[in-house]
Amino acid sequence: MYCSIKNPAERRYVIRMWVSAALCVLFSTVAALVFRLGHPHGVLAYLVAVLPALPIMGALVYTGVYLGEEKDEFQRNLLVQSLLGGTGGILAATTAWGYMEDFAHAPHADLIWVYPLFWAFAGISYGLVRLRYR
Amino acid sequence: MERKIDNSALGRYKKRMLALMVVLALVSQLVFWEYIHNHPTGVLAYMLAVLPALSFIGIMVTYGLYIAELKDEFVRTVVKTSLLWSIVATLSVTTLWGFLELLANAPHLQPLLVLPIFGIFLGITTALVNRRYE
Repeated sequence: MYCSIKNPAERRYVIRMWVSAALCVLFSTVAALVFRLGHPHGVLAYLVAVLPALPIMGALVYTGVYLGEEKDEFQRNLLVQSLLGGTGGILAATTAWGYMEDFAHAPHADLIWVYPLFWAFAGISYGLVRLRYR
Repeated sequence: MERKIDNSALGRYKKRMLALMVVLALVSQLVFWEYIHNHPTGVLAYMLAVLPALSFIGIMVTYGLYIAELKDEFVRTVVKTSLLWSIVATLSVTTLWGFLELLANAPHLQPLLVLPIFGIFLGITTALVNRRYE
């Protein structure tokens, strides 16, 4: 699969993202098991709870690293515009939902959804930006 | 060497922002008044709750227009880099806090706070990126 990616920067990015995803699954399982079997509390509970977030933060940093390593100006610009679109989308969504939670007693939204929603918006944005350049 | 600031884009941006701030203040007051006096429910409550958020979304669109209108490639790069690192920091915070809420029963962080958190990071990253290019 990785062999089909000719761009070395893109190949490194895909591998790093897969490693991050695998670590996220692993750390989530470890955290879930620790909470189920050990019932930690206090500082230890906080430390275990942040474990699955670390690979996700790593994935974000790797995206920034990829932008720095990508030599193709067009591809980089495409990704930057998509990420900016994702940024606008997620900020709009959280602000709108925040007001609905506060005023209209909408169901409580877990912050854990912000990250996947951001990528959903970035994906939509990517499609739109590509259409623009067709 | 002193850089020439693109005053036309900045001027338009400031005017639009001022207009939107006035709209935001008026709409927020109206929504608060309606909630305090008439206690709306159902679809009306949701529609009213979204109104102030629309002004915030307008502010984001205005910022997007400002970036698009910028003629100075350097300033545009600084703005885009700052925005991207700000969203990385914001997503890191929301993901970390999301896991803390989910697993360690940390206090609920309102989605409404995501935008101000992003704003704070934008201020910090803009200063850092500017310093890097000094």
